[in-house]
Amino acid sequence: MTEEIFQALSQYIAKDILKQPNRKISHDEPLLSSGLIDSFHLVDLAIFVEDEFGVRIDDSELNSSTFDSLDQLVSLISDRKR
Amino acid sequence: MRLEETLLFAGLAVILRLFVVGRVRLWGLLAVSTLALYWFQPLNLVRYLDFWLPTFTLFLISVSWFLITPPNRRNEKINLFTALFLVVTMVLIAATRYIGVQGLITASRPPPILPVVLAITVVGGGYFILCRQKRLPTWSSSIAIFFLLVLFVVIKYPLLADYIGNWLRLASGQTAKAGTHIDIRWLGFSYIAFRLIHTLRDHQNGRMAEVNFREYIIYVIFFPSLAAGPIERVERFLKGLRNPENSVPTDFAIGGKRIAVGLFKKFVIADSLSLFALNSTNVTQVKSVEWSWVMVYAYALLIYFDFSGYTDIAIGLGRLMGINLPENFNKPYVKSNLTQFWNNWHITLTQWFRAYFFNPLTRKLSRSAAFSSPVSIILITQVATMILIGLWHGISVSFVIWGLWHGLGLFLNNRWSEWTRPYMKNLESQPWFFNLAGLAGIFLTFNYVALGWVWFVLPDPDVAFGFLMHLLGIG
Repeated sequence: MTEEIFQALSQYIAKDILKQPNRKISHDEPLLSSGLIDSFHLVDLAIFVEDEFGVRIDDSELNSSTFDSLDQLVSLISDRKR
Repeated sequence: MRLEETLLFAGLAVILRLFVVGRVRLWGLLAVSTLALYWFQPLNLVRYLDFWLPTFTLFLISVSWFLITPPNRRNEKINLFTALFLVVTMVLIAATRYIGVQGLITASRPPPILPVVLAITVVGGGYFILCRQKRLPTWSSSIAIFFLLVLFVVIKYPLLADYIGNWLRLASGQTAKAGTHIDIRWLGFSYIAFRLIHTLRDHQNGRMAEVNFREYIIYVIFFPSLAAGPIERVERFLKGLRNPENSVPTDFAIGGKRIAVGLFKKFVIADSLSLFALNSTNVTQVKSVEWSWVMVYAYALLIYFDFSGYTDIAIGLGRLMGINLPENFNKPYVKSNLTQFWNNWHITLTQWFRAYFFNPLTRKLSRSAAFSSPVSIILITQVATMILIGLWHGISVSFVIWGLWHGLGLFLNNRWSEWTRPYMKNLESQPWFFNLAGLAGIFLTFNYVALGWVWFVLPDPDVAFGFLMHLLGIG
């Protein structure tokens, strides 16, 4: 289950945010603190997570202290889906 | 905070950490923070306002806490003791009127004790009756937020502040000084209001951590971050408040060092730079273009060293008491683009605006059918957010232009990044190119920010525009 979430997120970020479909994103690569995902795309990512997995990430949670890597985002989604 | 005040409160922080421990620790923090609220409140042209404004701050905090707290928790013993503590403190501070001619804790002599007791009885009694009410409708928090924003506008808009100031002078038996600017100086209101709005919004979203009255007051008026931030989030603050993470020697070593660094930045570097940094007086005196640039750079460095020095002191003082305040600056002037600059300048303020304005607006517009183009959403949200950040500093044309300057700069930066992203991918194997591009980015970003400060520091936009033209050798 978590692997599916990881793949879906990783593909979305590579294709729709970074516009580099072949780009591989590692499990612990910093996404926000490194500037890879900017504040606009972060909201897009939150909307994608909400639509795709039915998990709401609040506006006040969209920062690197809530999640920074894909692994952290995947575990946040898994926790809230339970 | 003056030098001797910093040292005095550092001493108090050390005493609190070493001797006020266990069950009395939070009472100690509450007492010193309440004292600081009155102590640091500057003198106003309106009589007794230096007593009434901090008192009103405590009232606003009480109402906010009331709104975010479930009815069955309001009358717990700890909350009633806290209310009693506040009342006694206010009366004792008012009683210092009878000790000396000058204000002992407040900037001037407090008002006579009778009106103070009367006001506390009426407001406190009403509050106590309200506390017995059942749950309030959800829109009551929205009204409170609206009221805080209205107060914000009144304080920050010079014309309204003048009007209210004159009215208050008349009400307090003084003559209205028509035509004289009455600046209502309210210690830390910009920061206090933002902390209150943060907790009220989180309460509305069902995300507010449970907090008792005593912890809530300490959170909002914690004396190191009272006057100029950082604007910490309540759940993060509570962790350190309830359980200090580090040992006393570690905190004293790190806190002491931060305070020393902050004092040096603020009182040595920033004060030296202020001798020749751009201001509204020397702008009309300097004729040389080279010196004009020196003045602009000096101001850019001055505002950084002054503000980040202040933050170092605040973080250091917090650390002495075992509380880790968040960082507000992370080398902002050596960032290679404007987006990174704003991620690292006054970090807690920009995070606040992101959480409560930018993200909700972006989400709303992205979901709206009327806004199909992401570019227009980026432009609208970026410019609107930065103009609001400008207005947060004061309601004036200059601050709007400064906000617009950064909003448009961020938009252009965003478009540039999107446009160059595919090319950058091909150049990843050329490290020399990345280093060079990074250096060019730092140079451009610093200069863009430095020129933006011209709008910020000069209150007259015509003078600012003329000076910018002068810098560029035009006119």
